[in-house]
Amino acid sequence: MSYHLPVILFLLPFATAICMPMVGSRRRRWCRPMALTAVFAMCVAAVVNLWIVVEHGETRYAFGGWPISTSLPDAPLGIEWVNDGLASVMLVALSFLAWLCLFYGGPLTLQSLGAREVLYYTLILLLISGLTGIVLAGDIFNVFVFLEVAALSAYALVGIPGGRALIVAFRYLILGTLGASFYLLGVVFLYASTGTLNMADLAQQMADKPELMTSKAVIGGTTFMFIGFGIKMALFPLHGWLPGAYTRAPDSISPLLAALMTKVALYGWVRIMFWVLGARAEIGQVHVLTLLGGLGALAAVVGALLALSQEDVKRMFAYGGISHVGLILIGVSQGNSTGFAGSMFYLINDAVMQAGLFFIAGAAIHQHGTRTVEDLSRLRQSPWLIGALIVLALSMIGIPPTGGFFGKWHIILGAIEAGNYLAVAAVVVATVRALKMHGGVEISDLGAENVDAVRRGCVNLERHLRNIQKYYLMWVEK
Amino acid sequence: MLELIEAALQRPNYIAFVVLFLWGLFIMVTHPNMVKKLVGMYLLQTSILLLLVTIGVKQDATVPILQGSDAVLSTADQMTPADYTNPLPHVLTLTAIVVQVATLGVSLALVTALYREYGSLDEDEILQGIE
Repeated sequence: MSYHLPVILFLLPFATAICMPMVGSRRRRWCRPMALTAVFAMCVAAVVNLWIVVEHGETRYAFGGWPISTSLPDAPLGIEWVNDGLASVMLVALSFLAWLCLFYGGPLTLQSLGAREVLYYTLILLLISGLTGIVLAGDIFNVFVFLEVAALSAYALVGIPGGRALIVAFRYLILGTLGASFYLLGVVFLYASTGTLNMADLAQQMADKPELMTSKAVIGGTTFMFIGFGIKMALFPLHGWLPGAYTRAPDSISPLLAALMTKVALYGWVRIMFWVLGARAEIGQVHVLTLLGGLGALAAVVGALLALSQEDVKRMFAYGGISHVGLILIGVSQGNSTGFAGSMFYLINDAVMQAGLFFIAGAAIHQHGTRTVEDLSRLRQSPWLIGALIVLALSMIGIPPTGGFFGKWHIILGAIEAGNYLAVAAVVVATVRALKMHGGVEISDLGAENVDAVRRGCVNLERHLRNIQKYYLMWVEK
Repeated sequence: MLELIEAALQRPNYIAFVVLFLWGLFIMVTHPNMVKKLVGMYLLQTSILLLLVTIGVKQDATVPILQGSDAVLSTADQMTPADYTNPLPHVLTLTAIVVQVATLGVSLALVTALYREYGSLDEDEILQGIE
């Protein structure tokens, strides 16, 4: 039974999604309880699964009993699912966030949907099962299929409100499909040069035959895969689809998308990077991790800058998410366990924060009609809402008792360990920007301080933290 | 240089792949008409399938179903793998086609909804109509 747990985790939302139209067409009121029950069962199963993995170590699921990577050097013929420490933790985060988003979404959507409510819940459950599949898959083609299952449901969900949402959904679809096609192209290249799709087998072959890592097919294939994942995770130059999609998506859907879509794509890239290519991979003479770190630093700083200039609350949070993807990449690319652990912690932490921020944005729009940053002061009427926003913002900045601190702290420690002070500077700049983005302070008086931050790097962190608190209090009092 | 051209000309499938891929990408990115964008998207996806099928080809090989004496269980160990094409790329192609059809379905549904709402298929016109 416990061996089958990963598949049960996937089947819970998937089977419910398939049953939903059958039940829902006759009894529409059952849809929401059904979806909530299925995802709640998924949460329980994910926790049990995590406990089993912690107690007994990782398991590998072989579909149909075909040989998988455990039978190497025999060819792994079957599809493999890997249920290791990282995957099981991700699954717990994923299922709990999905349940919260479902629970939150109810009262916001029902009135406008009518009979389409059935399809709405079907799509959400399909999205969740697609994401579960990406987390568990140990086979690069399997990842492609689940990426598309999740993405197709996401396109449809973004387009629900009609009007402008349809345009951004269409753009999201065009760019998302482009990303998936690039990923598939990468899979074809890797398959053509190694003859296998299994991640563990690929890694084994890369280790056995060093000439593979310098072959143009593997380098090209990996680059295409990275571009594909880059579009899906909204890495800075490829982020075009994200702000519009998250802003225009229904208020009940944007938390789910913001928390999970980009993070799971990032997780997919981390799998390929560390479980297939290995941390020492090089393109030409350049270390892949160095490239990643550079891209991450760029995304972290530019995303934060763009977030500053936004008027719309949801759009501002969306750009914040782009910046955080960069932060996570910085930590991953330090090539030591401190940075990696910090990044993975920050990844889950950021999923929770993004969900929380979009929950608040939705509630603010629903209750107070607040759409712009200036209007946020109207939230004063509901102390719980503004209190939650402050706690979340503190976490985004990284004030010690909150989760954001530990993630950022370890990313910075990892960067210092690797002697990479540019990365430290980027994290700090992104942090300083984040604090201003929430402080609602005038943009004009920010420039000088940032130059400072870059120069002095980590030493300044503490002072900035104090500044943050100061700005915070100012804002609250205002 | 001449050898390179000669080598390229001996692999028409790869040239076709590159041409179709770039052509599709170009249409998809530049064309304002949404249905034409989808045509570009379809071209791009199909070009990848062409590449996938191409790498599965073997000379003088037949369909991957055991034939003649190979089909006898006791002699199955002695079969020569070179006689049969690789079935895996074909399976991947089938799966990718399914994904492609689903994508096309969702995108056409979105385009239809947009057309009903704004009476146009041109992205620029629709954006003007909103403003």
